[in-house]
Amino acid sequence: MPFVRRYKDMNTDLDALYKDIVKELQNEKELNIAKELKGDVNDVPFMSVTANRSTVPKLVTGTLREVTVTITGDKNDYLIEMHTGEWFSNLAMPYLGASILVGPLAGLAAAGATGLMAAQYGRKLKAKIKDLVKKHSKEKYSDDKVETFIG
Amino acid sequence: MPFTRRYKDLGTDLDDLYGDVKKELQQDKDLTIAVENSGVINDVPFKTITAVRANVPRAITGTLREVTVTIAGVPDDWLLELHTGAWFGNMLLPGTGGFLIAGPFGAAAGAGASAVMAVDYGRKLKNKIKDMVKKHSGKAYTEDKVETFIS
Repeated sequence: MPFVRRYKDMNTDLDALYKDIVKELQNEKELNIAKELKGDVNDVPFMSVTANRSTVPKLVTGTLREVTVTITGDKNDYLIEMHTGEWFSNLAMPYLGASILVGPLAGLAAAGATGLMAAQYGRKLKAKIKDLVKKHSKEKYSDDKVETFIG
Repeated sequence: MPFTRRYKDLGTDLDDLYGDVKKELQQDKDLTIAVENSGVINDVPFKTITAVRANVPRAITGTLREVTVTIAGVPDDWLLELHTGAWFGNMLLPGTGGFLIAGPFGAAAGAGASAVMAVDYGRKLKNKIKDMVKKHSGKAYTEDKVETFIS
């Protein structure tokens, strides 16, 4: 599920923020940067980076598959979108951590492996981005300058 | 939103099916193959391919950002997952084609450009894959052999 935040009146250095986000993705050994896009969309600056899992996971259900972070707008009014994708999330049984798969496919959901889980990674990255926004903004961060959109 | 189907008793050549899916992704000029992973997870064969948008889009809201197709299992019991990601999908106003927020982002959301929309692309690809499954299966395709999972 995508997570979008709008930041206003923060006077943020968006290039520096983007570079630090790319570094953060590069620091995760299970991820490879697959694509970076930079340009203007109808005169609105746009930067987007996608990192994909670089290896076959030990289990698939809920394991992080890709991450995309997009920044669009200008230093005093911009959006950040973070998307984390996972495999076969709709086969997991809520609250049980189990899968509806049985038979020859059950191994796909086998628990116990130390997988890089999308939900956990997304939570960590979201907190990191918040710190990076503060680091690269000249104006003080306050909740009234930030609006969060959920899917 | 991911779309997952389980196919049973079809005797499908999964390697050939994967090859055709890959060709289909390669044919789209707006996409580039970012990563392919294949292997075995707890004795279950697994193949996945991700294609990402190759260039800055003309409009961002709802535009196709990435596609991942995953095939896991054996010829007579396997799963197919199709994921299509879109930028800022949760900021679209349902039914209006409008954008949730005004200001500088209105232009970036601009509809009317001949963008590859994720929802449209996903629908077409889903139908093509259905044809490919029929092509590469040794047994007759019937609805009772297919189960669709939704979130």
